[in-house]
Amino acid sequence: MTVLPRTARSWGWHVLCLVIVAVVLYPLVWLAFASVKPPDEILSRLALLPTRFVFDGYTKGWEGAADVGFGRFFLNSFLVAGLSVAANVLSCSLAAYAFARLNFRFRGALFAFMITTLMLPYHVTLIPQYVIFQQAGLVNTFVPLILPKLLATEAFFVFLIVQFMRGIPRELDEAAIIDGCNVYRTFWHVVLPLSKPALVTTSIFTFIWTWNDFFTQMVYLNDTEKFTVPLGLRLFVDTSSESNFGAMFAMSALALVPIVLFFLAFQRLLVEGVSTSGLKG
Amino acid sequence: MTTVRTPDPPVAAEAAARARRQGRPAGRRRKSQPEAFAFLTPWLLGAVALTVGPMVVSLYLSFTDYDLFTSPKWVGFGNFAHMFTDDDRYLQSVKVTLIYVLVSVPLKLAVSLLVAMLLNTRRGGSGFYRAAFYAPSLLGASVAAALVWRALFMGGGPVNEVLAFFGWHTPSWVDDPQFSLASIVLLGVWQFGAPMVIFLAGLKQIPAELHEAAAIDGAGAFRRFRHITLPMLSPVIFFNLVMEAIHAFQAFTPAFVIGGGRGGPADADLFYTLYLFEVGFQDFRMGYASAMAWVLLAVIAIVTAIVFRTAKLWVFYDDVDGKGERR
Amino acid sequence: MRRTSERRTLVALAAVVPLLLTGVAACGSDPGGDGGDVTITFVWWGSDGRANLTKKAVELFQQKNPKIKVQTSFSAYAAYWEKLATQTAGGKPPDVLNVDTRYLAEYGGRNVLADLNSGAGKAISLADINPELAATGVYQGKRYAVPWAQNTPAMLYDPAAFTAAGADPAKGLTWDQYATATEKVSAAGGFAARGVTDFGILDTPLEIWLRQQGKQFYTPEGKLGFTADDLRRYWQLASRFRDTKAASPADVTASYNTSPEQSPLGKKLTSSEFAYDNLLPAYQKANGKPLNVAPYPTDANGNTGQYRRPSMFLSVAARSQQQEAAAKLVDFLVNDPEVGTIVGTDRGLAPNLKVRAQLAASAKGADKTLYDYEAGLEPKLGAAPPVPPKGAGAIQKLLQRTYEEVAFGRMSIDDAVSRFMSEAEKGLK
Repeated sequence: MTVLPRTARSWGWHVLCLVIVAVVLYPLVWLAFASVKPPDEILSRLALLPTRFVFDGYTKGWEGAADVGFGRFFLNSFLVAGLSVAANVLSCSLAAYAFARLNFRFRGALFAFMITTLMLPYHVTLIPQYVIFQQAGLVNTFVPLILPKLLATEAFFVFLIVQFMRGIPRELDEAAIIDGCNVYRTFWHVVLPLSKPALVTTSIFTFIWTWNDFFTQMVYLNDTEKFTVPLGLRLFVDTSSESNFGAMFAMSALALVPIVLFFLAFQRLLVEGVSTSGLKG
Repeated sequence: MTTVRTPDPPVAAEAAARARRQGRPAGRRRKSQPEAFAFLTPWLLGAVALTVGPMVVSLYLSFTDYDLFTSPKWVGFGNFAHMFTDDDRYLQSVKVTLIYVLVSVPLKLAVSLLVAMLLNTRRGGSGFYRAAFYAPSLLGASVAAALVWRALFMGGGPVNEVLAFFGWHTPSWVDDPQFSLASIVLLGVWQFGAPMVIFLAGLKQIPAELHEAAAIDGAGAFRRFRHITLPMLSPVIFFNLVMEAIHAFQAFTPAFVIGGGRGGPADADLFYTLYLFEVGFQDFRMGYASAMAWVLLAVIAIVTAIVFRTAKLWVFYDDVDGKGERR
Repeated sequence: MRRTSERRTLVALAAVVPLLLTGVAACGSDPGGDGGDVTITFVWWGSDGRANLTKKAVELFQQKNPKIKVQTSFSAYAAYWEKLATQTAGGKPPDVLNVDTRYLAEYGGRNVLADLNSGAGKAISLADINPELAATGVYQGKRYAVPWAQNTPAMLYDPAAFTAAGADPAKGLTWDQYATATEKVSAAGGFAARGVTDFGILDTPLEIWLRQQGKQFYTPEGKLGFTADDLRRYWQLASRFRDTKAASPADVTASYNTSPEQSPLGKKLTSSEFAYDNLLPAYQKANGKPLNVAPYPTDANGNTGQYRRPSMFLSVAARSQQQEAAAKLVDFLVNDPEVGTIVGTDRGLAPNLKVRAQLAASAKGADKTLYDYEAGLEPKLGAAPPVPPKGAGAIQKLLQRTYEEVAFGRMSIDDAVSRFMSEAEKGLK
């Protein structure tokens, strides 16, 4: 192979990627511009650019709603999402290791049950769950949002980590056992480090999904002071009265910043995650 | 993690290979009861305290007439009978959901796998592209996302303009019964970030030596994809398939926000869970909604069981149950 | 309520068993009930602007009643109802709550709301509220709610467009004149924007149109008050507007949403729309042009079909431990003159007539338009209809989707009518 076709292929690759980027990002760019349109153009003007730039959405939006600044909603969301990430990574990887690597009674049945819990629409379990937290006096706190994650109720992530752990060559932990490691040490020193891509994936998804989750947070949080970003955003929009779409778009655009940063920070780890072959630098 | 002792893979692999040559079962079938349950404790607590109870309650309610505020009345299989004999909207919701599952799942998986493969390279800029491709998934299904989508597909919006340029004049997609489901499918596909990231992480796990060895043996790109990438990626493909299918069966938020909380124009976007939600929370028929939920669970369980069964034929694990030999 | 407690035991059973297993102690009792300070919870729906006004009113209440602490919470309309249903099903609805006439029977009829004709509710004064308006909160003989504001269905329109078409809706039009005018408005804009948002999907115009003919939407027994033939004629009327391109095309109609900003008039896709008078400022802001309110078109006999409509209600939860404090708050929000000044016309006109008269005297701008409109209509208002029955909440959506089948040409009017009638009968029990 000569140098030329290689460069040409590289160029082709870049062009292809850029075309996809343009298609995929257009709606987000539209969103960004919508946040600086004047009120009577936000929903009626389809063109990308506004006729004049208006930044009221940002100033009004940042003031928040009902005397609670939008910064407060951000802080609450950071708290909930951050704790959720920690809780999920810890609890789900523990359960996943048992399912992926250990042999115990009822393993098949429990695994099947775990998958089954994924299949029931949450709308019908919402009320019984709400009653539990209400009886425990925990409504209008962050506990109902985080405790389930600490108890690995998000089977999606358990399943995700199980699948990744199964992909790790068994020879590695068998060798560790032969070297005299017990199960806990093998988990902590061999399997967990090798599962880093899955753990990073879990962290990214947990953060983003918690950041964007509306229904659970809406049901459990009452005080505006405790509201998170998705709840704050809906305070600008009501179908029965006057809404402030400018503020809603502006804060929606702003709400993207932390998750973009979070993603950028962690996706590096995703790539640099240990490749199981151990051959990649 | 400061004390992580990175294993020395070649040595470990050698040890395992030695074990295998000597015909030792290498840990298979060894029970590790107490340790296993130690690892499972948080999950078991959560399952018992937060999952089983509510599930049992909803199962009970599915046999009752329950309006949320007064006592449930036992109606036996009445709700289930009503569903299939006397509820046209229910059947419409089944139809919409099946179309959505059958179209959006393969489409989303194909797009995310292709893009993941495109990005599985050491070329400069791949980090940027990966972040850019993931960006739509960061938005979630918020009110803002719904309004943006509406604007894109409205009459005179960019999608209509582009199509009109090619001579295809379409109405406002989101608001037309013929097109609105397609616009929701596209919204789902547009947010292909999650399966893409999972595929990408899976691709990273495939030893580069395999591809290099195959290339030296003269295998072309397609053959390498068919005989190395697909089998090696199969646990991840399997995971994505199961999860996306379950997810699609339960699709709620996109239709809810785009359809303005109802089933879209002339019920064209009446997703199963959307109808379930409407019945339970707006019509105060939580018994019927619970029955619908359990029928959905049964259907998803059957589909998942079939996928799990066929998995034995095409998914290769290297673990206790795995039959696949990788080298 | 023995049966209710049985049910609750059952739901709680699933809740408590796992709690015992995990050793989490349940603490169900309310903190400090008697003597000293009391805390009540108060919820409403609406956006941020409304919340600021309402919170100010609540602060004033707390100043005047230092022993009562009010915990407030608000959400957008749709989220409000889901949350309220969950809280109520869990056995702890808020003490004071905002109720819509479409859901009054659902909550009142299931004993969620306290009867304000007895007990602590008697402290709420209705003396200065129009008796007909006050009566809209009575369902099956019990006063489950007190009107929090009054509004009136109205046609919102762009006066410039209609003047150019040679019509003045403010003076009152017949349906025929309205059809001609809207067609001209559409033609003037080359049919890109239309004269009116297709009203075939909307229940309020149907109700007003029925009342103009001496009929009603619901009977006092909770059945439909109109026949298949009535609905057919209504949809034929709407279809006449659509066929002549006076009304919005089907896809624009399908995008309709009660939010002023998202409705076709708010998005400048039509020049008039049927809504409520108190939404004028919001519509105006979204549309960008000065708009006006007018009564609905009438038949030749000039019967407006309008009535004093409760734009929303306040209720007290039957299970509230603090009935007296809750009733006090309701009375304050409905009758206090200072509250009237604070909240203005955001929800509609003040229910208390003395407060309303005082506010009307000093009104300016869009508010003045509103007071003038209501004052002009006052002599023509008829008796309020009975409270809509259980299941009424779903009827608007049913009307909307069946008419959409017609508008998109997927179903004949006759077929759509029979589908509506059969589904409505199933839904109203």
